Amino acid sequence: MSKFREPAAFQAASADWQLLPFRFERIRGRVLLTNLVGEHLFLSAEEFEQLGSSDLPTDSPLVRRLRAKHVIREKDDELPVELLAIKARTRYRRLAEFTSLHILVASLRCEHSCPYCQVSRQSSDREAFDMRSETAALALDSAFRSPSQNIKIEFQGGEPLLNFGLIEEVVEAAETRNETEHKNLGFVIATNLALLDDRVLDFCRAHNVYISTSLDGPADLHNKNRPRPGRNSWELATAGIQRVREELGVDRVSALMTTTRSSLGRVREIVDAYVEQGLTSIFLRTLSPYGFAIKTKSFNAYDVDHWLPFYEEGLDYIIELNARGVPMVEQYAALILKKMLTNDDPGYVDLTSPAGIGIGAIVYNYDGDVYASDEGRMLAEMGDKTFRLGNLHDDSYEEIMLSEALLAPLEESFAPSAPMCQDCAFETYCGSDPTYHHATSGDFLGRKPTSGFCRRNMAIFKLLLERYEGDATTRALFQTWAGH
Amino acid sequence: MSEAKLSFDRAGYSLDAVQRAAYRFSDRLSCDISEGAKAIEVNVRVADGTERPEAVLDDFRNEALDQVLRERIRAETSDVRNLVLALAFSKTGLIETDV
Repeated sequence: MSKFREPAAFQAASADWQLLPFRFERIRGRVLLTNLVGEHLFLSAEEFEQLGSSDLPTDSPLVRRLRAKHVIREKDDELPVELLAIKARTRYRRLAEFTSLHILVASLRCEHSCPYCQVSRQSSDREAFDMRSETAALALDSAFRSPSQNIKIEFQGGEPLLNFGLIEEVVEAAETRNETEHKNLGFVIATNLALLDDRVLDFCRAHNVYISTSLDGPADLHNKNRPRPGRNSWELATAGIQRVREELGVDRVSALMTTTRSSLGRVREIVDAYVEQGLTSIFLRTLSPYGFAIKTKSFNAYDVDHWLPFYEEGLDYIIELNARGVPMVEQYAALILKKMLTNDDPGYVDLTSPAGIGIGAIVYNYDGDVYASDEGRMLAEMGDKTFRLGNLHDDSYEEIMLSEALLAPLEESFAPSAPMCQDCAFETYCGSDPTYHHATSGDFLGRKPTSGFCRRNMAIFKLLLERYEGDATTRALFQTWAGH
Repeated sequence: MSEAKLSFDRAGYSLDAVQRAAYRFSDRLSCDISEGAKAIEVNVRVADGTERPEAVLDDFRNEALDQVLRERIRAETSDVRNLVLALAFSKTGLIETDV
């Protein structure tokens, strides 16, 4: 039996209102509608059926709701078209900005031996695995070639503090160069903090360098995930976090966590560990399906179905903490909520389309190889150089940015023209992750019905909307996260 | 593996709509689709171990119907969609004639 009126009913020629582009999805008996720029509303199944009725009165409450969300417009009214255009332009404004995050791999060496890490080397051979000054200078040239007004330089590893001299050199050279370039320049060191000392702190203070570190939760879990001589990774990381907070400021350090199989079932303890450190945000991440993370299955393997309950429990616990007056933001939710509830796009690489590889962030490896993403670098370490764009020593900026290794995945994975994504009501919240799909299904697009990326994100979008619609307190909390 | 034959009247369904529905369900079903004079015939195989295969088939039929609706919305709004995007990207420097 048909749930809808005859298709002719949707031709609104005789109605006083006209449809605007929108997409819909049925969720638990209700219908989610999202307009061209992702603004959403829920209708009951009955209301949705009425939308197909050309005699729906123009002054009905339903028509007013639909007009307010730019799902329909009064016949020939140009204002909704202009407003949608402004909102769409705002949403895509980062495209014109181009690459803003430039990741320099200062050293592949690391004193940790984390089983899931794809890239690190336990070596004292500086010649073999540290970035050299001339390579760093070329990376800086490339970063300043980006038309973006905002340039963030992030030092990664291995453990980048093992090559701290190079970091000092790059920061000072970038600052000197910026006296004439006038970019909004920022620096981040992604470090496990085990090697934090006065020299590093003094330099970070003098040059306004931010610290991004890893904290996987309570001591036993963190130390199991991140083995090092002395088995004291957690002790060093938490002591480092406190030193940075005290000496540089509470906002100068943030932490990321990696979810291993050992983390599942312990999300409340993990969140509590962040609260205990005085941190006010946490990013409940999945483990990337690359390199050693696949190789060392026995240590890490878990699938989306195992991870989603972990995420849901964590999100609900964070909502509960906030209700009790303990401030905590779940970063992945905050990124999505910004896309859901505002017309801004935070430009998070995994959740943009066109994909953020290369044009949102780019990686300069220690040896001068340039990769479209950090995950592309990890794949290369496993022998798959699909996302290698060139080498700073051999190739020009134009050759790197116009290489097929970048253009092909960008074009082939573009979500608004991808099967299923094209009609998906969540498309504006989502992204196209060509590296993930290449690693898991062998092509840049992937098959969405069986894609773990699609499954995970669809579940999170539905969860966030459910909580947002569920009660006023959570709605208010999510609105503050969206502005975060 | 259980099998079923579904038939979609061509007066109400396009081949594209049925194919889109089949793609969306390709994690649960595999389909052979053929066009007859009056109907689109779909031979469906439901994977072993699927709980309540009849319910999956019902959902598939409803999805085909939703795809018809999506097709109508796309057709009816394609002009205004293009207009909005043209307006959005004008004067951004992203379109060659703009530069």
